[in-house]
Amino acid sequence: MSENYRKWPMVLFLGVLTTPLILMYVYLFVDTVTNTPPGAILPNEFTLEHWRFLHENLPGRPSIWLATWNTFMFATVTTLIVLAVSSAAGYSLSRLQLPARSFFLGGILVLHAFPTVTLLIAIFLILQMLGLYNTLIGVILVKISLELPFGIWIMKGFYDTVPWEIEMAGIQDGATRFQVWRILVLPQVKPAILALGIISFLAGWSEFILPLVLAPGNDVQVLSVYLAALIADDNNFDMNLFKSVGLFYVLPVIVLFVFFQNKLMNIYSGGTKG
Amino acid sequence: MGNSKHLGLILLAPAGVFVILFFLAPVVLTAIFGFTNMSTATGISGGAYVVNESTMRALGERFGERELAGRLLRKSYVIDEAGLQAARESGAEQATIEELREKYLGRNFESRRQIERLLKKLDNRPASIRAIKKIAASFERSVVNIRFDSPEELVAAIEGYGIVLSDAQRQALADVSYTGWVFTTQNFKTMMELPDTWRTMANTLFYVFSTLILFNTGFALVLAILTHYMPEGPAGFFRSVWLLPRITPPVLYVLMWKWLAWDNGFLSRMLEPLGIAPRNWLLDTPANAWTFVILINGFVGASMGMLIFSSAIKAIPQPLFHASEVDGASRWQQIRHIILPQLRWPILFITSYQTLSLLTSFEYILLATDGGPGGATEVWALAAYKKALSNYGGALQYGYGAAMSLVLVVIGVVLSLIYLRLFNFKALTESPKIEQ
Repeated sequence: MSENYRKWPMVLFLGVLTTPLILMYVYLFVDTVTNTPPGAILPNEFTLEHWRFLHENLPGRPSIWLATWNTFMFATVTTLIVLAVSSAAGYSLSRLQLPARSFFLGGILVLHAFPTVTLLIAIFLILQMLGLYNTLIGVILVKISLELPFGIWIMKGFYDTVPWEIEMAGIQDGATRFQVWRILVLPQVKPAILALGIISFLAGWSEFILPLVLAPGNDVQVLSVYLAALIADDNNFDMNLFKSVGLFYVLPVIVLFVFFQNKLMNIYSGGTKG
Repeated sequence: MGNSKHLGLILLAPAGVFVILFFLAPVVLTAIFGFTNMSTATGISGGAYVVNESTMRALGERFGERELAGRLLRKSYVIDEAGLQAARESGAEQATIEELREKYLGRNFESRRQIERLLKKLDNRPASIRAIKKIAASFERSVVNIRFDSPEELVAAIEGYGIVLSDAQRQALADVSYTGWVFTTQNFKTMMELPDTWRTMANTLFYVFSTLILFNTGFALVLAILTHYMPEGPAGFFRSVWLLPRITPPVLYVLMWKWLAWDNGFLSRMLEPLGIAPRNWLLDTPANAWTFVILINGFVGASMGMLIFSSAIKAIPQPLFHASEVDGASRWQQIRHIILPQLRWPILFITSYQTLSLLTSFEYILLATDGGPGGATEVWALAAYKKALSNYGGALQYGYGAAMSLVLVVIGVVLSLIYLRLFNFKALTESPKIEQ
């Protein structure tokens, strides 16, 4: 459409604006396997030394594999529980008779819009009092709770699009509402579960502030905190090393992004946190 | 499970537990903590009643009881059974102890010299000066730095040394000796008085509105409209690239900006041939720091608007564009008269939504400038975080930080409720169609 208009000036204009971004990402990859002489723009030699953190611990830092395992546990457990809890609650809000239903719906919407990061100080004190400070369980519980309003809202939206006829037919055949949900409706929202699962996993994998404040210890450290501590250490400044750790950290995200890009675009435009 | 009313609540219950414990409770507790003086000094659980240098200074300054304060800080000497026991263990003669018990049990002394004088006058006088000093030490009593669970216990201990307290003195002592946190409105008074508060607030407003106008709506609109007029190939490419900042974990994303901006970084190297000295562009001047803070946040923020505006433009019926082209409309006229009117609601949505998230987010600023140089880019949320959770001195002011957060929580609740009204709540909450 709009064949009357020339296109190359727009492509050129946007291309210029996008250049810094592209440069940053290209150099992210290039710098992890090369060395650049001081003052030069282009690298002059290939090397794998920046990846040494994979087999030796960096000064003052725990093993990268421990941090990777913690990050994986944090993201996976959060995702699984968010999926289970929000697919139940979403169905309840979408289809079932509830006392004070519009109160619950309004509440979920308000919580969804609510800026959770403002609660950090109170959450920190609560975990201290519960004895869950500096544990993975504590930070997982918090992350789940803060993700739930979004998850429930998304799942409710998807349940709303499932035709009522499916459920009515199930009820006619004598199934209970619970059986109808488990056997007939859940398979209908598989794409939603997949999408929410990916979003939750990415959110968990990228999370920085919560583990930084609630679980900073070396035993429970996740990759984001590991990398931030590495960068903040003035005694061992090595940009290429930072980038290599960063690339290692971001690899799962890139893989998910490449495979599920369209799904992500749809969900993000459905209005997640900005 | 036949009753769908109960099933509804059962399915909702797990979510309820999580949300109440770690979402609603923190909202309420932020309000409560905001009205306390909780800090690393007071601890977060209940405190104790302690006589020490600082609480006694307060007793002198606030109640004028300097004499009592001085008296409580000095050691007392009491001849009691516990003291006699200690004296025996420190090697006193049995006869000495018997004499002390018979003649002087329950006697108090205000100074070491007094009790030593007494010991010298005893019939069964200890053999050496050293023995006298040792025995005197067994009767030494002090409340200094002892933690009492209640003011009654503290008063009882003090009166055991023969110090008689008036009711007013007891009350004053209970007030000043408590080392735990107490409820207070001092945080808000301090907040109003500190010049930093107003500077931080001005920073916050500047940050939110410039990022919002330049990027989150402004540049997002540019991206959506330009990609709309492009062939699918480049349009898809640009949309994907501009989604990258949102997908990239914040720590890595900010690291890439640091690589661009640090004194040995890409920007410095590129500008060196032009005669511009290398510098850390992120932190050298407030203006440069702000530029980067806004760019860093704006590049992330633009993608959400871009996606929402793009799908809104896609929803505009194609014939509208074709008809306007036949009528000879320029591209600018199309944008002005077709696209922008259709985007009114999405723009309002993005603006309101992102106002709230920019107002409260500090992750990228924390990672990029940490509020520097010299507090120039310190925004409200970052200041609250630093007060309560990250302070190099180690003295964390939980109460004051919570009070600062409370300001944001209140704004958050009010704005969320307004948005709920604004974006047509009724349509979203239709009743279910199967009744049982």
